Amino acid sequence: MTSPQTIAVGYDGSPASQAALLWTFQLAGSTGAKVVVVHAVGLMARFSGQGASLDLEQSVGQLAEDVDFDMTHLRWYLSDGDACSVMLRAVEDPVNADLLVVGSRGQGAHAGLLLGSTSLQLAERSSVPLVIVPMERHFDGH
Amino acid sequence: MLIVNGPVEDAEHEEFGHPERPDRLIAALAGISDLDLGDDLTVLTPYAATRAELARVHQGAYLDELGAYCYAGGGNIDADTYATYDSWSIARYAAGAGIAVIDELRRVGTGVGFIAARPPGHHALADRAMGFCLLNNIAVAAASLTALGERVLIVDWDVHHGNGTQSIFWNDPNVLYVSAHQWPLFPGSGGSREIGGFDALGGIVNIPVPAGTTGDVMLRALDDVVAPAVAQFSPTWVLVSAGFDAHRGDPLADLALTSGDFAMMANRVAQFAPGPGRLALFLEGGYDLAALRASVAGTLGALLDCDYAPEEASSGGPGQEQVLRAANERLIAIHMAEDSRPEED
Repeated sequence: MTSPQTIAVGYDGSPASQAALLWTFQLAGSTGAKVVVVHAVGLMARFSGQGASLDLEQSVGQLAEDVDFDMTHLRWYLSDGDACSVMLRAVEDPVNADLLVVGSRGQGAHAGLLLGSTSLQLAERSSVPLVIVPMERHFDGH
Repeated sequence: MLIVNGPVEDAEHEEFGHPERPDRLIAALAGISDLDLGDDLTVLTPYAATRAELARVHQGAYLDELGAYCYAGGGNIDADTYATYDSWSIARYAAGAGIAVIDELRRVGTGVGFIAARPPGHHALADRAMGFCLLNNIAVAAASLTALGERVLIVDWDVHHGNGTQSIFWNDPNVLYVSAHQWPLFPGSGGSREIGGFDALGGIVNIPVPAGTTGDVMLRALDDVVAPAVAQFSPTWVLVSAGFDAHRGDPLADLALTSGDFAMMANRVAQFAPGPGRLALFLEGGYDLAALRASVAGTLGALLDCDYAPEEASSGGPGQEQVLRAANERLIAIHMAEDSRPEED
């Protein structure tokens, strides 16, 4: 099995997605993989305003700085849709991810078994390996 | 005659600050009132879809979980979509409204149906809520018709692509799904190369149009791209996913249609119906209340030949080129798919 070349990590600013991003930074830091931060632009994005994407950008930058991740290895992929569909699109051109990473619970999702769970929906549908990072995991930044 | 069903009283599907809100239904009903239909208006008793009717298009496990989630108090299903304690009941009435209207249209053999219900439905997948939608209302109604052997044309003029409806009928030769929608925009699907599965090649017609598109472009899409596909399909019923968020005043999108454009589009789509009493429109999106009211009145006023003056039709916007391109890409995709069709045993 080869190391992933391009890791797509779902990010919506939620604590779960922050955990996923930190885990991805650690993996990419040790393997040299490219990181593509994937953000689904939903119907409500218009109501959130332009400031929302700026907030996301700043929080990703802060997390990268916290773990000394080289931002030149990071790209963004913003696409219209629900989180599951957009993550699945990241497997295709132009992202071509060979590993997907998501948090166990995204923004607005409830704690039920399947309803609204991007991670479980992806587990059913993804054609590439998927990592689901539990929110409780602690990181030492190395 | 207008046959309406949908509104359910004494139940709540509402989240503070959310654009998909009860006032939308009040605005739509006000649009109907503006037509002064008198005895030409029939409002049916609300009807909740049965599990068997829902299960024609939704997975049983999803229905179970959605119902349980609502009865547990509801909450946010995803970043866009919410449910409340009453949402399961309200959604079942919204999904059943189309069945009731169609039953009445079949009984009387004339008139136009309008499903004034919410939450909207066309984003809901077989196994998933999304995009404000819990149950796919128009798909439930269409499936009730195909179960009777009918051939159903679904025209979706909501500004967003109806990914749920497309997905549900992807491989169904008895449904022709047509969508003209802004692109790029949520949900990110609806490309012109999405044409249906091998059992229903060409059964999906997608016409993505750019921001700023005006009514003349939408009419051209209906005349040049949709009409030939409809003639080939030969529907026995026509259902419309009538979202009004393509109106120029809507806060969720950037098309430039007016209520006059919806009136003209409605008249074009009505010509696809094979006879009277075979046309029903389902409320989908539309989040500017004044635009929604005027657009409902304009649309239904045109279909019922009422003395109602909608806004002036729009023209001169972009999109002609994209419509032509979509038509060409669709034909090429169909030919390529035909060439790659697996041989049957």
